[in-house]
Amino acid sequence: MRYADFTPYDLVLLAQGLGVTVGLFTLTTLVGLLIAALFTLVDYYRVPVLRQVIVTISEALKNSPVLVQLFLVFFGLPAFFHINMTPFVAASLTISLNTAAFAFVIFRSGIDAVEADQVAAAKVYGHSRWQILRFVLLPQAAAFSIGPLVGLLVNQLQVTSLISVIGVFDLTKIGNILNLRTLEPFIVWTVVGLLYYALAKLLASVGARIEKRLRRSVVWEGI
Amino acid sequence: MLEGFLLTVFACTLAIIGAVIIGALMASLRTSGNRIVRGVAFAYSDVFRNTPFIVQLFFFFYGLPEIGIYIGAFETGVIALSIIGGAFVSDVIRSGILAVDQGVIEAAKVSGLSRWTIFTKIVLPIALRTSVRPMGSVLINMVLTSSILSTITINELTGTAKIVASTTFKPFEVYLVLLVLYASLTYALSLLINTVHRRLNRAMDTGGAA
Amino acid sequence: MIVIENVEKRFGETTVLKRINLTIEPGEVVTILGSSGSGKSTLIRCINGLEALSGGSITVDGNDVSTKAGLAAARRRSATVFQLFNLYPHMTALENITLAPINVLKKPRAEAEARARELLKLVGLADLASAYPQRLSGGQRQRVGICRALAMDPNYLLLDEVTSALDPEMTGEVLDILAELARGGTTMLFVTHEVEFARRISSRIVFLEQGELIIDMPTERFFAEDGGFAVPRIRQFLTKMKKD
Repeated sequence: MRYADFTPYDLVLLAQGLGVTVGLFTLTTLVGLLIAALFTLVDYYRVPVLRQVIVTISEALKNSPVLVQLFLVFFGLPAFFHINMTPFVAASLTISLNTAAFAFVIFRSGIDAVEADQVAAAKVYGHSRWQILRFVLLPQAAAFSIGPLVGLLVNQLQVTSLISVIGVFDLTKIGNILNLRTLEPFIVWTVVGLLYYALAKLLASVGARIEKRLRRSVVWEGI
Repeated sequence: MLEGFLLTVFACTLAIIGAVIIGALMASLRTSGNRIVRGVAFAYSDVFRNTPFIVQLFFFFYGLPEIGIYIGAFETGVIALSIIGGAFVSDVIRSGILAVDQGVIEAAKVSGLSRWTIFTKIVLPIALRTSVRPMGSVLINMVLTSSILSTITINELTGTAKIVASTTFKPFEVYLVLLVLYASLTYALSLLINTVHRRLNRAMDTGGAA
Repeated sequence: MIVIENVEKRFGETTVLKRINLTIEPGEVVTILGSSGSGKSTLIRCINGLEALSGGSITVDGNDVSTKAGLAAARRRSATVFQLFNLYPHMTALENITLAPINVLKKPRAEAEARARELLKLVGLADLASAYPQRLSGGQRQRVGICRALAMDPNYLLLDEVTSALDPEMTGEVLDILAELARGGTTMLFVTHEVEFARRISSRIVFLEQGELIIDMPTERFFAEDGGFAVPRIRQFLTKMKKD
């Protein structure tokens, strides 16, 4: 057996990489959605200045490559502000913000998609802006948003592969290591690709189930 | 960085042309009558949309020489970018094809036009016109994705920025400028797409706002 | 000659056409009347091959529409005008009209365009040759639709409720052209709700009721007190149509 051959330990490596990818994806999704929700609140209450800042940041994040954002955070921030930055922190921060930028737009269009008549009706009945958001807009916006949101997250899962470039040991980085050692690019990248594919399909099917449930409740409430 | 910028524009132009050709072809296959052809075209779009571009890129970059295909990094990058772009474009065009008014197709059928003529002269041109906007976001995404080509030694915009950042020791400033550059590039592209959309749909009722 | 023999059409469980027998001779103008859902349009769609037959046969000048070659030949001999015009939205009026003559009849472009302009002039749209359908009114669109059909030099013109989507004024524009064509000897199969117009231009009237052909009479007989009008169902239909 040559040193370069595949060993059972490679499976452990792959599992570790998979774990890092899933872990970082879960973390950045949760943080990202939370930030997006805050952004949406700021936008909904039309907070001056802050609102414009958020829209600008979100546009910049949506219209530039994630790789460049990663470089800015990982190489740029420590050099400019003289702070310490590990690859994992830089990756989490960047992907969270990136997810937030896209999710913010989805949430906002979800709210916009609710007919203005309903909001007008709720106002006439004397509900506060918060009550309108909580009882009229949110349940419906959630149903409108879930489809595009699942699409976004499937995409963000693929985006996490870029963190390998700044040295996080995720699935892609493990693929790199195995590729260089075994010189079996077809096998290595097919396996890595299939793992991402499986994750994406899993995510999409969970998303479809949630969407079904949410839509049902909205239809039911609408009767 | 100008050279890098030009290389990015060049690579994206080639890849976009490639993606539109592949996408139109695959979309045609996905609406074909043959189940196997449809299945293959669907699998193509499904696989490339659901795996990371960087993995696909490494697959080609390290894999192709293994099977005796020696092409440069730039060629590999453009091909890979065309392929993933084609997967997204095919989805967009397919929805465009399915949205073509059935009555219009019936009128063409009863006038005796061949399937091929109906497809190339009626269905596809209408689908392309209605697909301009969604296609635009796919193309913008391709421009952003092209930054990943820097990972296989291609010194396009991001690649050259990396070099400049490490020689000037000013990574923050360099990457911030880079971010703005990409944003301007995609903004310019979106303006172009809007113009194309207006031009193509000036005469045509597409059901949406022109 | 269009020969329809024992034609049956079913959509799943529902039978839309039941054992229809009908022959259309060259030079005839045959109107199909009947309330909505009686299967009138489906019959037209069976003749031009947009619907497959569930039983029976249809031949157009001897060409069986249920075979591939027969259908192609039948489609060359007939032309259809649709209720919703179905113009190609990305082509000008002229391009709409010349597409099939150039690609199916293999006419040289110049010849096809000259013929198209002639037809457009005939329907009073000479100056709208380069307009896109989107810019045209409903009546104008349907007139282009008629030109598109005529450009194929069809032996038979199949007209499927061609005025149903038009307001009265535009209906008038279109019917005038059809009357002109009828006088000129064009063979037409005409599905319509315009009873008075049918009376004026058609040589024969056929009445469909729930997929069955219950009456096939020369026009005068159909409207005569002791002819079609004597049949209770026809009287009921005609009286109701008059009121509308």
